Amino acid sequence: MMKILVIVPAFNECGNIGRTVEEIRRVALGVDILVINDGSVDDTVEEARQAGGMVISLPFNLGIGAAVQTGFQYAQKYQYDIAVQIDGDGQHDASFLEKIIVPICQDQADMVVGSRFLEKTGGFQSSFSRRVGINFFVYLINALTGVKVNDPTSGFRAYNKKLIALFAEYYPQDFPEPEAIVVAQQAGARIVELPVVMRAREAGSSSIRYFKTLYYMVKVTLAILLHMIRQRRQN
Amino acid sequence: MNIHIVAMVVSVVIFLFVIDLVRRRRLTFKYAMAWLSVSGGAIFFAVFYRFLFACAAFLGFELPSNFIFFTLFCVFVFLSLLLTVFLCQQNNRNDVMAQKIALLEFEIKELKKSNS
Repeated sequence: MMKILVIVPAFNECGNIGRTVEEIRRVALGVDILVINDGSVDDTVEEARQAGGMVISLPFNLGIGAAVQTGFQYAQKYQYDIAVQIDGDGQHDASFLEKIIVPICQDQADMVVGSRFLEKTGGFQSSFSRRVGINFFVYLINALTGVKVNDPTSGFRAYNKKLIALFAEYYPQDFPEPEAIVVAQQAGARIVELPVVMRAREAGSSSIRYFKTLYYMVKVTLAILLHMIRQRRQN
Repeated sequence: MNIHIVAMVVSVVIFLFVIDLVRRRRLTFKYAMAWLSVSGGAIFFAVFYRFLFACAAFLGFELPSNFIFFTLFCVFVFLSLLLTVFLCQQNNRNDVMAQKIALLEFEIKELKKSNS
């Protein structure tokens, strides 16, 4: 029996987090749900606890990367076999949770990325400007690493023990998803992508607003390129 | 008032101020070193200003004041880079500590829950 931890980073997700935790509990029996409260000032903690999640509260807002990394540190400390990352905003359909851990259970992958673009399965496909940004990262990551991930910004992911240990030690900080793929690939991880359905946010607003798209692209590109240089020098 | 004397007085005041900060433990010696070196250099050039003129002429500056401004600019860029490195280091340490505190707090709560 594999020990599975679902990591749910949440920053001011009152109105979403309770539903997210309940949905995970409903569809995935026997998994532990760990909400990382990233310095929320609303009732995120209470809502998550009432829904039945374990809650680790960071003393102040550290950003999504450090919040997810705290989840990996917990998973490593308590020897979980699989860690699944799901956003706390209710965008990810938890019914795909069991599907994305299958390749890891069968030892066919070290990391599974849930993709909304792999199949035309419907659901939320993101805005035009964000699609442009996402496609840019698809080509950039492919050109640098040879790995093609169609939805590199997806925060719906599963990892095995090897990557839990890797990311407990180092996980990219702001907007970490595309860079995390590069970090995993550089560590020799087998990365698999599976189609999932995503929804539009139900309450609150996304942390990446439209005017931030360009800034996001420049910043993540630089972070990825710097990581590649650092990795080459270490080798 | 002679400009050399003003320059010398200002440099000495900064030098003494840094030493006083170290003495009162407001500044650690490690980070005071850079400021002591800069103000020490300023005292040296204020006293031996002919050497300053010679350096400026040797490096091709038309006016010694341009040489002073250029040197100061380089020094401050270097110092701000050093401070940024220090800031990043502190930021990383803060993050690590915050994560450890959060994990420990969670474990303490769980222990209390299981004991009661």
